Amino acid sequence: MSERHMKLGAFLMAGGHHIAAWRHPDAHAPAGSDIDHFIAVARIAERGKFDMIFIEDAAAIRERNPDLASQAARSTAFEPLSLLAAIAVNTSHVGLVATASTSYTEPYGLARSFAALDQLSGGRAGWNLVTSASELEAENFASSGLRPHSQRYERAEEFADAALALWDGVEDGTYFPAGGETFADHSKLHPVHWHGKHFAVDGILESQRSPQGRPIMVQAGASDVGKDLAARTADVVFAASQTKAEAQAYYADVKLRLGKYGRGQDDLKVMPGISPIVGATEEEAKAKYRALQEFIPDAVGVALLASYLSVQDLSAYPLDGPLPEMPQTNLIQSRQQLIVDLGKREGLSIRELARHFAGARGHWQVVGTPSQVADAMEERFLDGAADGFNVMAPLFPSGLEDFVTLVVPELQRRGVFRKEYEGRTLRRNLGVASPSKG
Amino acid sequence: MLLGYSLTPFGHDPDAWTKARDRRRLGFDALLDQVAAAEAAGFDFVLLADRLGVRPVDDLSSVAVPFEPTLLASALATRADRIGIVAAASTAQHEPYNLARRFASLDLVSKGRAGWLVVPDDGDAGRGNEYVDVVTALWDSFEDDAFIYDKAAGRFFDPSKMHVAHHQGAYLAVRGPLNVNRSPQGRPVLAHLLEEGDDALAARTGELLLLQADTVEGLVAIAARMIRSVEAAGRRRSDVRLVANIVPVVAESEQALGEDGRILPIAGIQMDGTPEMIADRLQELATATDLEGFTILPPSLEMGQRFLGDVVPELGRRGLIGSRRQETLRDRLGLAQPVHPAASGKEVSA
Ligand SMILES: Cc1cc2nc3c(=O)[nH]c(=O)nc-3n(C[C@H](O)[C@H](O)[C@H](O)COP(=O)(O)O)c2cc1C
Repeated sequence: MSERHMKLGAFLMAGGHHIAAWRHPDAHAPAGSDIDHFIAVARIAERGKFDMIFIEDAAAIRERNPDLASQAARSTAFEPLSLLAAIAVNTSHVGLVATASTSYTEPYGLARSFAALDQLSGGRAGWNLVTSASELEAENFASSGLRPHSQRYERAEEFADAALALWDGVEDGTYFPAGGETFADHSKLHPVHWHGKHFAVDGILESQRSPQGRPIMVQAGASDVGKDLAARTADVVFAASQTKAEAQAYYADVKLRLGKYGRGQDDLKVMPGISPIVGATEEEAKAKYRALQEFIPDAVGVALLASYLSVQDLSAYPLDGPLPEMPQTNLIQSRQQLIVDLGKREGLSIRELARHFAGARGHWQVVGTPSQVADAMEERFLDGAADGFNVMAPLFPSGLEDFVTLVVPELQRRGVFRKEYEGRTLRRNLGVASPSKG
Repeated sequence: MLLGYSLTPFGHDPDAWTKARDRRRLGFDALLDQVAAAEAAGFDFVLLADRLGVRPVDDLSSVAVPFEPTLLASALATRADRIGIVAAASTAQHEPYNLARRFASLDLVSKGRAGWLVVPDDGDAGRGNEYVDVVTALWDSFEDDAFIYDKAAGRFFDPSKMHVAHHQGAYLAVRGPLNVNRSPQGRPVLAHLLEEGDDALAARTGELLLLQADTVEGLVAIAARMIRSVEAAGRRRSDVRLVANIVPVVAESEQALGEDGRILPIAGIQMDGTPEMIADRLQELATATDLEGFTILPPSLEMGQRFLGDVVPELGRRGLIGSRRQETLRDRLGLAQPVHPAASGKEVSA
């Protein structure tokens, strides 16, 4: 079958991506710390034949001001690997992608953790490599403040290589070699002796080789160094873009970089975010969206916007006026640019921008009927803007349930999405190349 | 009597794999089968000892579980729903913020059944001390009743019940707060493994004290020393549970006794005998040494099954094993829920 199929990720988040989701009358407010909720949601994604579920991460509370933090469900969450290990043994096909930082962990511990997730899931693990751009995280790790962007990526480059070497340290069939008298075949072990600028690692992982060769590597870099790291090491990239033109530009840019590293165009899947709000009719979808928007306190919405603009505070500016000029940032430049562009393009005030942003943090929002949502996705998929999408339901479980029962069959009818899983590993379902056997 | 089960793929005997040459034993399902059997037999906790933090350099061990233990614990917790799960993690191998999150998350996944076996730094006792205090302070980031989920008022938690550690010590600097909800059992249970040597950290912070000695005399000495140290640290005997490592070699019958007769290279007190004899010895040892229970290190899976199938029912007949309905590990161990420092008027800091 030569049909090209889109890849789908379900970006999970407690009660929903919408900042006020937990206040919705249907919402299970403690969802974020309820493992049964997450297992149920993961199974919905699996029923919808999603390639993967995805869990974001920050190793800190996201808001410094306790009064604002106390109004956001995002202030607390499961640690992603613990969460996915639990989900792994309660699902069978869906991929499991956890975010983990190269700035606040070490290669051995991280590689070992993902190897464990990969074994627990039978080859469905993925690592979203992030370099962590927040001051609040840096303050939890004794480091002398947040490292500059370039240093974060220098460390990330070395980190990724050390982790890959560790995963390749054990070949298939190392344990109980055929006909052997030994527990492990030493000729199949390749101890790592890494002595780099940032890390020293001597040893092997106590694990079997991954059923998918290695865990899947995911990235969401938007800067030049970020996109280069992705082009060199990642199997999947996530992105945030509003317009089709932005998405196409990002797509072309990342794909162009693959050649530099001797990789083919299909070796890296570009999966921008989409926040779908689906209703049987357009009016119903819009009503669902309005029902969520009602619950956003202005202060919470503006604080979220400020955090993505990488500014301390916007409260000095009139809420109904435009965004002020923004200083250059060491943090997340790309999202800042996206917000500034959106404000200018649509002539939005700070309040309007904040309310818009609160739905999906700058990701593309589509409000409509199943066929309108499918049209929008299909268009970007066919026009060189995406290989698939990271689906960010505003509300869980109902938003994902809507997508799976209404939009997925529509995509399947159009022949742009799988009807059955191709295999049991994430690598197989994504259709990305296997690493050599180590 | 408290009972723990130390998990390995084939048994603690380094030769055990030769009698069970099956790669499936390394997998999750086989490990879960062992844990489920221990749970059904009424065990209070499973121990994931993780070579006590020693990382393999160029060899694989048949007595090590080939999964990172905190993640294995999380997976097990969703499939075995009563037994406590104590996982080892080294203070040298994790940043305290990351470790505090792992165990806080594990406690949510397991609904209050998690314990941390503290494996402190070899070198520096000062860092280990500070580290455990930081982790405890992070677990105290929220009070028991902080999460109010008030939809109408838009309050997810009560901000006056959040505490930021702002820790600045000789070794560590950690701001806080932890970004995980308060643990269902207040805090995960703190376990320590004790042989010889420095026990100050365990005496000050430990709740489940796992005692390891090869002889009864050695065990008596460690237990007495620990009780003194705990009291010297200003705590009560009832604040800790003493549990000794036991290696059971269960004979099928009196005739079969001593058939093997090997001294196994496993750290713990080896007990050879029929189920009745082993039950006698456990009972005697608990009384003589003032122990609350035992961690079983089965030398092979078969011995593990015999212990569960023959010794545990014998202990039950003697009324030594209650039918425990408690939900959290802390409750099973009979340990008090920690009082949040804010509730006793103290500042939360480490
Ligand atoms: C869908 C998506 C998810 C992301 N998830 C995280 C996350 O969980 N944690 C994090 O620190 N950064 C996250 N990021 C930020 C990216 O890793 C990256 O740092 C950011 O896009 C800026 O790119 P740059 O690092 O190349 O400057 C995410 C970005 C996107 C688009």
